[in-house]
Amino acid sequence: MSRFGVKEGGEARKPLPYITNYSQGFWEGTKAGELRIQKCNACSHKQWIPKAACEECGSIDLSWIKSGGKGKVYSYSIIRHVVMNSMAFEKEIPYALALIDLDDGVRVVGQVVECKPEDVKIGMEVEAFFEDIGGASIFKFRPRR
Amino acid sequence: MTLRGKAAIVSYGETPVTRARKDKGEPRLSYWEYFAWATSLALKKAGMTTKDLDGQGLAVMHPEVDHSLFLGVEVAEMLGVTSKWIITPSHGGASGCVGLAQAALAVSSGIVDRVLCVIGDAPMTYGDTMMLTEHRRDFEKPFGVMGPTSLFALVMRRHMEQYGTKVEHTGKIAVTQREHAVLNPDAVFKERFTMEDYLNSRMIAEPIRLLDTVMRVNGGSAFIVTKTEEAKRWTDKPVYLLGYGECNNYHHGSKALSDATLMGIGQASREALSMAGLEPRDMNFFQPYDDFTIAVLMQIEAAGFCEVGKGGKFIEETDLSYRGSIPLNTGGGQISAGQPGLAGGNLNLVEGVRQLRGEGEGRQIQGAKAGMVTGIGAVQYGRNVGYNSVAVLGSEL
Repeated sequence: MSRFGVKEGGEARKPLPYITNYSQGFWEGTKAGELRIQKCNACSHKQWIPKAACEECGSIDLSWIKSGGKGKVYSYSIIRHVVMNSMAFEKEIPYALALIDLDDGVRVVGQVVECKPEDVKIGMEVEAFFEDIGGASIFKFRPRR
Repeated sequence: MTLRGKAAIVSYGETPVTRARKDKGEPRLSYWEYFAWATSLALKKAGMTTKDLDGQGLAVMHPEVDHSLFLGVEVAEMLGVTSKWIITPSHGGASGCVGLAQAALAVSSGIVDRVLCVIGDAPMTYGDTMMLTEHRRDFEKPFGVMGPTSLFALVMRRHMEQYGTKVEHTGKIAVTQREHAVLNPDAVFKERFTMEDYLNSRMIAEPIRLLDTVMRVNGGSAFIVTKTEEAKRWTDKPVYLLGYGECNNYHHGSKALSDATLMGIGQASREALSMAGLEPRDMNFFQPYDDFTIAVLMQIEAAGFCEVGKGGKFIEETDLSYRGSIPLNTGGGQISAGQPGLAGGNLNLVEGVRQLRGEGEGRQIQGAKAGMVTGIGAVQYGRNVGYNSVAVLGSEL
C-alpha cells in the first residue's frame, strides 16, 4: 500500500475512518442500515458530527437516535477533479457532493447519486442509503421517490 | 484594555517562493531553512542581530507540513536565541494575524520589548501535510469531500443561491488580483488573464474553477513586533497595530443548521474597527486571506465594506485595483502570488505593511495610512471557516 492508498498494481482504496469510542455507535448503525445522530440527554439537542460533548449545553451525557435519513439539499458541488490522497474517487467523477439538511435538524455532507450530478438542485428532497466501502459503511443520498 | 497603538511592526522579511521543480533545477529546501532565511531577512532590514532577540519573545507559527512537536524551542535552538517567552500560533491561515496580536499583547504587557514572528513552510518539498483533523479523516474524506476546494465550493453555491452572486463576481476578484501580481516581482503568476479566460478555466469542484484557487509553493515569512516606545529605534517607518478582533467557531442560527454564508470575520472586524476608532470607509486597502475567491467576496461583506449578500453588486461597481477606492490584495494575494503553505497567512499581512511603509513599488497605493488585513483557517463541518482574525494597521498613531 502506497501512501496514497493505492495498492501495488491494484485499485485505489476508499479512505477509511478511524472508529473511536465516541463515534462507534454511528458506524454500528451504518452497518445495520441506520443513520444515527447524537442526541443530548440533558437538553435534547441533536447534533452531527459525533462529538464528545453537546455543542449546545456542554453535557457529556449523549446517546444515539435513529434519523429518518430524509432531508433537503442545502448546497452542492460537482466534483470534477480528485485530490492526490483520494484517488479511489477517480472512477466516480463527476459526482455531486452535497450538504443535506436532514428533517431531524442536523446537516450532513455526502454524495448524491442515482441521478445526473447536473440534476441536483438546492432544496431537492433526498433520502439516505448505505454502501460498504470495505471495513466500514457510509451513507450516500439519492433523490426521494 | 485596548491594544490600540501599543505595538508596531518595525521590519519584515519574505523569502522568494518556489514550486521547487527538480526539472528546472530549483532546490527543495526544508521548512527549517525557510524559518532561518525569513528571520535573517527581517533582522537585516531592522538592523538587528539574533543578539537583539535574546531575552525577548519568539512567535513560531506552525507550518502545514509534518513538523516537530517542539517546534518553538527548536527554532530558538537553531537561531541560538534564549527566549523569555515563546508562543506557537497554530491557527492555520490565521496564524499571521494571531501571532501579531499575541506579540502585541506581550510587548504591551511589558513581558518583553520585542517579538520575532516567523514561519517557514515547504509543501513542495514534503508533499504530505499534518494529520487531518479527525472529523475530516472520519466524516468527510470517506464521504467524498475533496479537500478545502470542495468545502468552499459548497459554501459558494449556497451564496450564489441565497444572494444571487454570480461567477463573474468572483471572476473580477481573480482578474484584479492577477493584475496586481503582474506588478509584484515576487509573484509566481505574472501572465494577465481576462474574464473570458477565467470563465473558460477548468472546473475543479463546481462552481470553483482553477483560477479561483491557490497554487502551493515553498517559502518563509517573518516580521518583528516591538512596543511602540522603541519602534523608532529600529525604523523610521513603523506600522502600528490600531485594532484587532478575533471570532472563532462562529455560528448563526441553530448550531446544527448554521447559515454557512456567514463568517466570524463579521464580529472580528467590528471589534477591530471599534478599537481603532475607524470605519470601513477609512480603510485605504483590504488584504483578506485568500485561499479561494469566494472567501474574499464573503470577507468583503463580513468586514462591512457592503451589506452581507450585496458583495457581488459591490464588486461590480467598485474599482478594486491599487488605484481604486478599496484596493484589494495589492500583491496579487495567495491566489496569484502563490501560497507558501501556512506562511501564506503572512503574505497579505506583509503586503499591508509594505503599503503603509510606501514600499509597494509599481503597485503603491497613494497616501495609504490605514488598512485591514485578515486571517482565516480551517473549515468547520457543514459551515464556514473556523479561525477568523482581523487586524487594522496604520502608519500613524
